[in-house]
Amino acid sequence: MRIPGLGILKGMRQTGRNFWAPKVTNQYPESRPTMPDRWRGRLDLIYDPFGEHKCEVCFQCAQVCPVEAIDMSGFDSQGNRVRYGMQEIYDERKDPNAYRRAGLPAEPMRNAGRWEDEIDGSWLRVVIDGFGGRAEALVAIFSAVQERYGYLPERALRLISDTMTIHWAQVFGAAGLGGFRLLPAEGHLVTVCTCAACSFAGGESLLAALTDELGIRVGETTDDGAWSLETSDQVAAGAIAPAVRIDTMVYGPLTAEQARHLLAERRKRQARAAARAGRVS
Amino acid sequence: MDLLLGIGRFLLATMLLLLLTVPTAFVVIQMELKVIAQMQLRYGPNRIGPWGMFQSTIHGFKFLAKEDHMPDQADRATFTLAPWMVYMAAAMSMLVMPFAPGAIAADFNIGIVYFFAVIGLSVVGLLIAGWASYNKYSLLGGLRSAAQMVSYEIPLTLSVVGVVVLGGTLNFRELIGWQQAHGWMLLWQPVGLGIFYIASLAEINRTPFDMVEADSELVAGPFTEYSGMRFGFFFFAEYVALFIMSGIMAALFFGGWLAPWPFPAQLDGFGGTLYGLFWFFLKSYLFVFLAVWLRATLPRVRVDQLMGMAWKVLLPLAMLNLLVTAGVVVWLNL
Repeated sequence: MRIPGLGILKGMRQTGRNFWAPKVTNQYPESRPTMPDRWRGRLDLIYDPFGEHKCEVCFQCAQVCPVEAIDMSGFDSQGNRVRYGMQEIYDERKDPNAYRRAGLPAEPMRNAGRWEDEIDGSWLRVVIDGFGGRAEALVAIFSAVQERYGYLPERALRLISDTMTIHWAQVFGAAGLGGFRLLPAEGHLVTVCTCAACSFAGGESLLAALTDELGIRVGETTDDGAWSLETSDQVAAGAIAPAVRIDTMVYGPLTAEQARHLLAERRKRQARAAARAGRVS
Repeated sequence: MDLLLGIGRFLLATMLLLLLTVPTAFVVIQMELKVIAQMQLRYGPNRIGPWGMFQSTIHGFKFLAKEDHMPDQADRATFTLAPWMVYMAAAMSMLVMPFAPGAIAADFNIGIVYFFAVIGLSVVGLLIAGWASYNKYSLLGGLRSAAQMVSYEIPLTLSVVGVVVLGGTLNFRELIGWQQAHGWMLLWQPVGLGIFYIASLAEINRTPFDMVEADSELVAGPFTEYSGMRFGFFFFAEYVALFIMSGIMAALFFGGWLAPWPFPAQLDGFGGTLYGLFWFFLKSYLFVFLAVWLRATLPRVRVDQLMGMAWKVLLPLAMLNLLVTAGVVVWLNL
């Protein structure tokens, strides 16, 4: 049976109870919660006066983060896709660092089987030992790895991180600099520098010449897979502007004519190498 | 000499009452802020003064400091007059409020008629406020207020007629005397009390019947274009009216200044006046609290539900109540 006004009484009982209930609001400026010693507040990206992220995805924060909680990829300030961002897979969060963070025994290379790439671990250790295991030699070691595999396999990076006891973020971040590839790619990567110095010195005509010569646009690969073209402002060759990087080798200063010539030379050499390989086999 | 004394007494009383309205509004607003906050599991104002006691006072003074804006197309005379009409309707009705024995400003024989005549004036103020603002929201709010308050005045007054028939007087002091002799009117007129309470909430535009303001539909109803102290007057009038309606309900149905059972109902002399004041204010503020409690609980009713309630439920019920009361009075020759 419906009794008129019963609902009102029910509601008033609720509000009446609330009236006497203790209030739990934190009176912020007067009473502050005690934070753990390692509390550093909330991570936040800072914006520049133009409303853009100040973050350039340089990985320095990831390198100093004591618990290695930072992992990133994205667009840099020039709007370029930053290539050191391997696709993040949720499972990656279970990497050895996560285990270390949690105080559990680390299992290095837990996810190694997920990638097809097999690497020669003993060879890599010899290379590392050859450089005395010094962190300054990281780029040289990367060059050696890329020379052999054509790119930097993740397993190699993991092995370098584990063997040389360098943070994964640092290794991964260093791999993002200058000409290293993180995914297997056919052929050679031609990178035209678009930094301010190179642009002023004629980098655009250089880019036009190479686009013309290769017959592809920026970000594309030739049909036979031998050549890829991209631009970057991080070739870091200000003194020899305008510069072009082919794989890890930086050439400059170049005119458009010289660039065509360089490319032709490289093609000829490649053809000779291929012919020799054919004869041997 | 008697005439001069009478005029002097009248001036003193009205002055005191007018001055009383301001702290009353402050106290009622503060109660509303604090009680609703507590019911919503908040602390409520707690910065200004001890326990935030002066929050509403600061609000009041803030109104004085604000710009007094008037729309270009507004009708200057009526726009200025409207807050006064609403405020004076509330303040003037306090003239017959029976605070305590010996503390009634104007104790005349048709006090109840006077009260309901004057409190009904506020609808005129709201209506001209809505019209003078030159704003469609204001006008709609004003028309709604007129419709609502005129509708609810009928059951409100009819429910009081039952009380008057039973008590045989239109004077508040005599009515309270009758209640001392026969028990509180609450026992004799429970249906009348229910009708009176609902209708009085509607009459003073309280939730759940605050159709006049209806923020979500009409911005702020007739108050939309008002700012500064003009708005402050409307605001004050609303809360003073809440206190007055609570006080009148205490006087009509809950024995006014009479103390409840275990205490002596009345005392003599000046102490008796203070004693009466204590009980009167206690009862009044209990009903203010009840109204605030209701506001914290109930949503606003729809405008058609509001009118339907007045004409289809309250009015027939009030008529029936009056008929039965009158019949019983005649039959038993009370």
